[in-house]
Amino acid sequence: MLKYIARRLLTVVPILLGLSVLLFVFIHVLPGDPAYAILGQRATAEQIALMHAYLGLDRPLLDQYVQYLGGILHGDLGASSVNNRPILQVFLQRFPATVELTAASLVFAAGAGIPLGRYSGRNAGTWRDALVTIVSLLGISIPIFVTGLSLQYVLAVDLGVLPASGRIDLRLNVPAVTNFMLIDTLLAGNLAAFVDAVRHLVLPAVSLGSIHMAVIARITRASYIEVANEDYVRTARAKGLTEKRVDDRHILRNAWLPVTTVIGLAVGGLLAGAVITETVFTWNGVGRYVVDAIKNHDYMVVQSSILIFALIFLVVNLIVDVVYAVLDPRIRYS
Amino acid sequence: MDARRATAVSTVVLLVATLAGCGSTSSPPPSTQTASSQPQASVTSSAPAPSEAAASATATSAAKAGGTLIVALPGDLVRTDPILSNDSNSSYIERQVMQTLVAMKPGTTELAPGLATSWDVSSDGLTYTFHLRQGVKFHDGTDFNAEAVKYNYDRWKNLPESLHAFAVYYPIIFGGFGPASIMRSIDVVDPLTVRINLTQPKSNFLITQTLFPLAISSPAALQAGDANNADVTKSKYAQGGNPAMVGTGPFMFKEWVPGDHVTVVKNPNYWDPATAAYVDQVIFRPFPDQTAELNALQAGEVDVAQTIKASDVQIVKSDPKLQVVYRSQSCNVMTLDMNQSHKPLDNKQIRMAIAYALNRQAYVDTFYAGLANLADNYMPLTIQYAIPMNVPTYNPDMARQLIAQSGVKDPTIDFYYPPDVSRPYMPDPKGLFQAISADLQAVGFKIVPHTEGWTTGYLDDEYAGKFPMWLLGWTCDYPAIDNFLITGFFGYQNGKPSPEFGFTYDDLNKAMQDALAAPGDQEAAALWKNAQDIIAADFPAVPMFNSIVPAAAQAYVRGFVASGNLNERFNTVWLDK
Repeated sequence: MLKYIARRLLTVVPILLGLSVLLFVFIHVLPGDPAYAILGQRATAEQIALMHAYLGLDRPLLDQYVQYLGGILHGDLGASSVNNRPILQVFLQRFPATVELTAASLVFAAGAGIPLGRYSGRNAGTWRDALVTIVSLLGISIPIFVTGLSLQYVLAVDLGVLPASGRIDLRLNVPAVTNFMLIDTLLAGNLAAFVDAVRHLVLPAVSLGSIHMAVIARITRASYIEVANEDYVRTARAKGLTEKRVDDRHILRNAWLPVTTVIGLAVGGLLAGAVITETVFTWNGVGRYVVDAIKNHDYMVVQSSILIFALIFLVVNLIVDVVYAVLDPRIRYS
Repeated sequence: MDARRATAVSTVVLLVATLAGCGSTSSPPPSTQTASSQPQASVTSSAPAPSEAAASATATSAAKAGGTLIVALPGDLVRTDPILSNDSNSSYIERQVMQTLVAMKPGTTELAPGLATSWDVSSDGLTYTFHLRQGVKFHDGTDFNAEAVKYNYDRWKNLPESLHAFAVYYPIIFGGFGPASIMRSIDVVDPLTVRINLTQPKSNFLITQTLFPLAISSPAALQAGDANNADVTKSKYAQGGNPAMVGTGPFMFKEWVPGDHVTVVKNPNYWDPATAAYVDQVIFRPFPDQTAELNALQAGEVDVAQTIKASDVQIVKSDPKLQVVYRSQSCNVMTLDMNQSHKPLDNKQIRMAIAYALNRQAYVDTFYAGLANLADNYMPLTIQYAIPMNVPTYNPDMARQLIAQSGVKDPTIDFYYPPDVSRPYMPDPKGLFQAISADLQAVGFKIVPHTEGWTTGYLDDEYAGKFPMWLLGWTCDYPAIDNFLITGFFGYQNGKPSPEFGFTYDDLNKAMQDALAAPGDQEAAALWKNAQDIIAADFPAVPMFNSIVPAAAQAYVRGFVASGNLNERFNTVWLDK
């Protein structure tokens, strides 16, 4: 297993290298000049030239790429061309916000999706199943920003029951220690702030998790029905086991594997979805960091952030594969 | 339902109810709504005169101290070293913390004492002597005095070359860095007097000293923050480190969490107790998306939204918890620009026909919710030295007549607009484009529509002279005629005219430079009139509108003095709740 993990980790290097080339070329052939984004509408030609020189954009593309790669090898992902802040430092500072949101979405997606799928599978072919199917299809079909804006308008603006934006009411003055708001509020010993942070999480997490909740529900249902029709389940019932025991011990345990796959893949999807959700809810995570960078033609931030995203995605996939082996002893990697 | 499931369901229900219940604390109390029915002069439904707005803020006897004010801005702070900032969001925040030698009276474009209580200008316009305010201390406790002023002005002039790219305004104001600067020297006359010696007179010198890149920082903090480090990423003073943004204002910089918020706190030792801040702290939150900003305002998460779309005014008005804050003066202009190197726009009768064909008032009503004036120059007429141009008003018959007189058959124009941007002076470029095109087609023009992305070609290509006709405008950096006519429109670069208008205008350039170098007001007025007459005779673009960008606030926000060029400070603001 360790050999397998080491080999998988080694494959990450050429993948990231290839991606860095693609990103670099792709971003630089896009129209637009970051110097205008930084200096404004009436920057003079001299100012634009100075800015190009500062950003290194006056040098050949290959030179720029080699320098960029050299920086990465030394752990330097470059600096934002808009505010000159080191990208890695800002990314790490904002990443906890995205992790918090993604984790909450995953909890919602799995927490609601699995019971719904199980319920649907147990009642396959009935009106209850049909109802869950309709809910799932709606969840899958509605884009995140529509869900987000609708929930924001109805529950935050119109009814005022939940907050519309941000991670916490800034009037509460919670000092940032870990940048995980739930942890920081607890470290500050401020229970009201903790509840406020949870309230701020609800709408973004539900919006972001809705699609994955629906997918998990569908997969759980399908897997449940498939396993429920296996011979060993029939045997278990024939042995006289209670329905609950059959459900828990024989069906669910075996129905887990495809659900785990979907949950693993959902992490990547949630990271991608965070880009939209964070923009809708003014959530200060790395998703919004990338969106703002795209708007400002902040090349370096876009390419470095996407590289980190890719690394996270690859590592998460590896973890999912390892978890398979833990869940199902029949799987062995060599 | 078994007992365990029932417990789980009731726990979820209870949690949701608890979370929902907590929301009520952020809603304004009922008394707020009563208060909102008695609007102040600064926030009434008709735009007040600036002086009224300012008076109302100080005349209120029931002002309450304390609390946190949350202000939504359209974008984030960029750098915390004023000289290295060139964006309106950074300036807006710096304005609360930093101060300049010369100020503007709140809500107006009128010059007022700042850190200098008075100044003398020599008759040749080459020497400015500033008398400094006594008893002022920087936020780090060090003294504000002539040495501190000299340190700042010398530092700006001699910035490391690698920082020049960020100090965009210094060369605009002083002509260049180092030896190219028109500031020959700055002398400390005595601890409270400095004398700035120029190499040439500059009639806009005083008003440019109100610009926030020229805010005075504590020399000790600049040194401690490594502000002169040639690598801006290593300057704590520019990156929001400790120290950063150490000035003399009513608020002190506390923290900047990039992308999330900037906090400034009340300065308890402010040099002018009469104008010390009421609120304990102001938190600025960036909202690049105006829908999210409006939602946050309606949900009570922000107290003031610095700018809202004209189309959202009605939504804010219909919400009893909110108030619209109208700004009294515009500091922008939208223009329909034309390039004379493209036929038939080389023909002045065609250019005039275009102006007559446009029903500008209808556009104001449709796209600006009435919050714009018809422009009669390339700047608002409230700007010093601006004179009316008598821009043609809607007359389609006259437009047809001029086309006939021009001798141009079936005039065809390639017309560009940016589909992906909204500017204060141009909230809906596509809508405006369609309305203008319809009016032009109605009098006989054939319009060929084109679009390009704002920062992905539009600005580059219009500036390079590729567009025959296009929509653009200018929001002032500072409310002065040269900032519109030279910086925004017709300034020469490297001795050459901008290719965007497609003609050479040496006479206009000379007239503007002469006006800028005028040693006194009277000479400047006459010379600027001359420049404007040249522009009016040529009619290179149609001045369209001066828009008034509204703000919005919770009804309990009091004492906010709004300004057309965003010269706004929150020390006068208090929370009536």
